[in-house]
Amino acid sequence: MRITVDSTVCEAHGQCGVVDMDLFPLDDDGYSAVGPDAEVPAGEEDTALLGIAACPVRALRVL
Amino acid sequence: MTADLLTPSASADPYALFATLRAEDPVHWSDAHRAWLLTRYDDVSAAFQNKAFSNDRVRPVLARRQASGEPTAADRVLGLLSGWMVVNDPPVHTRLRKLAAGAFKGQRIAAMGEQISAIVDEHLDAFLAGSGPQDLVSEVAYPLPATVIATMLGAPAGDRDRFRDWSDELALVAFGTGGAARAERHERALRGLQEMDAYFRELVARRRAEPGEDMLSALMAREDEDRLTDDELVAMCALLLFAGHETTTNSIANATLALLRHPEQLARLRADPELLAPAVEELLRFDGPIKVLNRWVVADTVLGGRTIRAGQRVHLVLASANRDPAKFADPDVLDLARSPNPHIAFGKGIHACIGAQLARMETRVAVGRIVERLPGLSLEQEPVWKDALASRSMETLVVRHS
Ligand code: HEM
Ligand code: SF4
Repeated sequence: MRITVDSTVCEAHGQCGVVDMDLFPLDDDGYSAVGPDAEVPAGEEDTALLGIAACPVRALRVL
Repeated sequence: MTADLLTPSASADPYALFATLRAEDPVHWSDAHRAWLLTRYDDVSAAFQNKAFSNDRVRPVLARRQASGEPTAADRVLGLLSGWMVVNDPPVHTRLRKLAAGAFKGQRIAAMGEQISAIVDEHLDAFLAGSGPQDLVSEVAYPLPATVIATMLGAPAGDRDRFRDWSDELALVAFGTGGAARAERHERALRGLQEMDAYFRELVARRRAEPGEDMLSALMAREDEDRLTDDELVAMCALLLFAGHETTTNSIANATLALLRHPEQLARLRADPELLAPAVEELLRFDGPIKVLNRWVVADTVLGGRTIRAGQRVHLVLASANRDPAKFADPDVLDLARSPNPHIAFGKGIHACIGAQLARMETRVAVGRIVERLPGLSLEQEPVWKDALASRSMETLVVRHS
């Protein structure tokens, strides 16, 4: 599974990082540092979906 | 004008005052609070990212006190609080937050769903057994999160009531007290907290010897070099209790009140349980548990044409930002299906609530079960609001279920 953040949409709510800081790293200002194309390690897909659902502005999605 | 958020009418309904501030003086110096009030969404949002606004506000107080003589019981408790991530800036904050993050991972929280449902049902059973007017705060919303935190930390069931007392005592000490009348209560609270310290120390020792499936064991387990010390674990237990109790109580109580005042929305939720997740977000936006967060100013900053000086305090008025018409269409309308819903009831940026997933789960289960199991729920009398600056909190919410 691959995921992406639209950095023009991300508002640094940090809610994805609350779900899993390793899958959803944040930069020093709290914006998502997932980048345009990140690989989700096998077995972590459900957590990735939880993190995506937690974003209040839908900045994250599965590629 | 000088805004005072602590008059009885502002405590009962602060939203009209917030609307005036947002429109007329969004960066407002309040003589009553001796602090700046930021009330617009964009200003509050930006403040979370502004390094001129610091969370490091206990250590300076402690340093001043220690300079003036022998450490007292109060200093020892302040010492414990000063280690909390929420009152620290990077890099101290970064390290603590990283060490705690593993214990709050989404999957761990999701796995607690059944346990939380059982706890909620236990409290609702007791509530349903009663009849006539009953207080939903003292019977359900208040005891519930304390039980969840105690369970989560792996404390024996019989000890749960003590968690509630400690949580009240922490709030009393952490939010400070004014006036001589409260001095005696303050002393009592400090004694209670020394007992709490000893209790958590024992719990930590027990889990070190015998790790379990609980969150405290998860907080200890680290593969890499750095780990939380016993002192830090004790402080962390106290922080989770402080940050996770009253907030969740208010989240459940305020949500229930909002639904009772908007019967058409309540009916909508009853008809469509799928609406529960967005509904809880909207209820947190509409009347969330935290009214105001505090920041210390560490560098002069110009905001909206006003100069905010180092050494002053800034109040970030979350409850106002969440009703800002510049961000939310029809902000005073409760719309359970509102989407997107970028409310900031859980804060924003590096300190954004680490317990947000747990708080959501507790509120969803509690509100979902209340709606389902108490079809005849009605408001018995107008609630009484506490005169509290930080929280949006009811003294009692008297309802009847049949
Ligand atoms: C609906 C209930 C809750 C609300 C509205 C809420 C809200 C918040 C807010 C606004 C902050 C940011 C504070 C700041 O920026 O100064 C925060 C931080 C925090 N919350 Fe929550 N909270 C809730 C429940 C919980 C629960 C259940 C827990 C854990 C058991 C928890 C643990 C924490 C911790 C540890 C922090 C500090 C995070 C940091 O400084 O990095 N909260 N919460
Ligand atoms: S939750 Fe959404 S808005 Fe917040 S940091 Fe993550 S991606 Fe950005």
